[in-house]
Amino acid sequence: MALIQLEKASVEFSTRRFKNVGLKDYLLKGLFRSRVNPRIVVRALQDITLTLRDGECLGVIGHNGAGKSTLLKLIAGVYPPTQGRCIIRGKVAALFDLTLGFERDASGWENIRYRAYLLGETPQTLQGKLETIAEFSELGEYLEMPVRYYSSGMIVRLGFSIATAIEPEILVVDEILAAGDASFREKARRRMQEMIQQARIAVLASHDLKSLEGFCSRILWLEKGRMQMLGPASEVIDAYCQHYGTPRPRSQAA
Amino acid sequence: MSVRALPSEVPARPVPAAVQAVADYFYQIWRRRYFWWSLVKIDLRTRYRGTYLGLGWSLLNPILMTMVMCLVFAKLFHQPLATYAPFVLSGLAFWNYLTGIVMDGCHSFRRGEAYIRQHPAPLAIYPLKASLVVGIHFLMALVVLLGTVWLARGTVPWHALWLLIPALGLFAVLGWTTALVMGVVNVWFEDTAQLSQVVLRALFYVTPVFYDGEMLHKHGLGWVVDWNPLAACLDVLRAPVLHGQPAPLSAYGFLAAVALAMIALAALLLWKVERKLIFYL
Repeated sequence: MALIQLEKASVEFSTRRFKNVGLKDYLLKGLFRSRVNPRIVVRALQDITLTLRDGECLGVIGHNGAGKSTLLKLIAGVYPPTQGRCIIRGKVAALFDLTLGFERDASGWENIRYRAYLLGETPQTLQGKLETIAEFSELGEYLEMPVRYYSSGMIVRLGFSIATAIEPEILVVDEILAAGDASFREKARRRMQEMIQQARIAVLASHDLKSLEGFCSRILWLEKGRMQMLGPASEVIDAYCQHYGTPRPRSQAA
Repeated sequence: MSVRALPSEVPARPVPAAVQAVADYFYQIWRRRYFWWSLVKIDLRTRYRGTYLGLGWSLLNPILMTMVMCLVFAKLFHQPLATYAPFVLSGLAFWNYLTGIVMDGCHSFRRGEAYIRQHPAPLAIYPLKASLVVGIHFLMALVVLLGTVWLARGTVPWHALWLLIPALGLFAVLGWTTALVMGVVNVWFEDTAQLSQVVLRALFYVTPVFYDGEMLHKHGLGWVVDWNPLAACLDVLRAPVLHGQPAPLSAYGFLAAVALAMIALAALLLWKVERKLIFYL
């Protein structure tokens, strides 16, 4: 059984005005004094209480900087909660920025291997999937080339194909429903839908309210790191659009 | 299954729980072995891609340096080439390992930033990857060293080479922990790599890399080598390869003590920063 349980979970970034300085500057310019180099606390997420069980799909909406990505990274285990509790049960796969973390001098094939290993595959389990990944990416012989020479669209295709070839229990997706050109996007949409249906729990952050309403049973609306509203998808989207005075997108049968 | 909570909420753990935590940490590293090992392979393959010599390129530096030093210092120190060439090559091979560990270690977390930001994995795998890459270069230099010994002496002390096992074991532990400590420090102070380069340059001259440590003893500077763990490293490497005998037990003991201290330091740092390093990258 997969489970996500957040109890008053908060994430605070504590930083200083001059960060990543050299030891020389630190000592000579006195950056260790809080008057010279004040501490800045950013409350990215505050008091998030949330329980997700098998079969649920949660959509996360909110403006840029509302804390959507931070919440997803908290669920994926990348960030620890700085306050409160965060209990995650199940194998998590997180799709964040798909263009990050490629070894640029290595070939497409090499990148497929190690990225899949990072997602928890082993050479045995990967054996059958290599062809599927290559096929889905439609990159063909470009896979022999170093990723350095790929266009950004090709990189997204490759990243998407690798990330969606695994079968996670908990799927966390940050705004990648639109990947690549029109034909690939449609294919990606269908694959995404399959994955969401297969995963026990899915958490999706997006600005695409229409798609979210199709996928999700519940939606969480974040506002400046706090929970503004959590409830059935249509209700939250109604309230969100009303609040910002934007036209309500027509819901779409998924 | 993972349960995360604030350190303050975790009750004081009895010793077995701590052992459990350490075992679990190593299990998590082991579980991701395919990941870091493929990063090592990619690093080795791409670093020399397109160069005619391939991996051999990395050996050129110690070999050329050895030739230059032989030209000058064999004369200066009144040493026959057959003794001095393997001596200085062994010193430089180790020195390249040390500088590689410190420099690549410094950059290990920043190079891994894209992965750290996307997937939770034990932080120690990034310095581990760095030290494995440097370690493989060192093993190749070791083969060249044995070849040089054979050329210079007509024979290699095969019977004593098993003594390299404890030496390499110590180097591996010291390498991984040093890379980790340097990596963490470099996240907080980003000029650590430049500063360490200055320190390493200075250390080069107080470590018997290209001169015999005995010479310092004669001039009453014996303490410089006696209290230098790098000199002890050179002892445990040179004794079997050059003289076919074990190094003094005190050298192994000294290094084991330093290794334990480094493990303690690395563990302390990991315990402090494992969860929050990401906020400082």
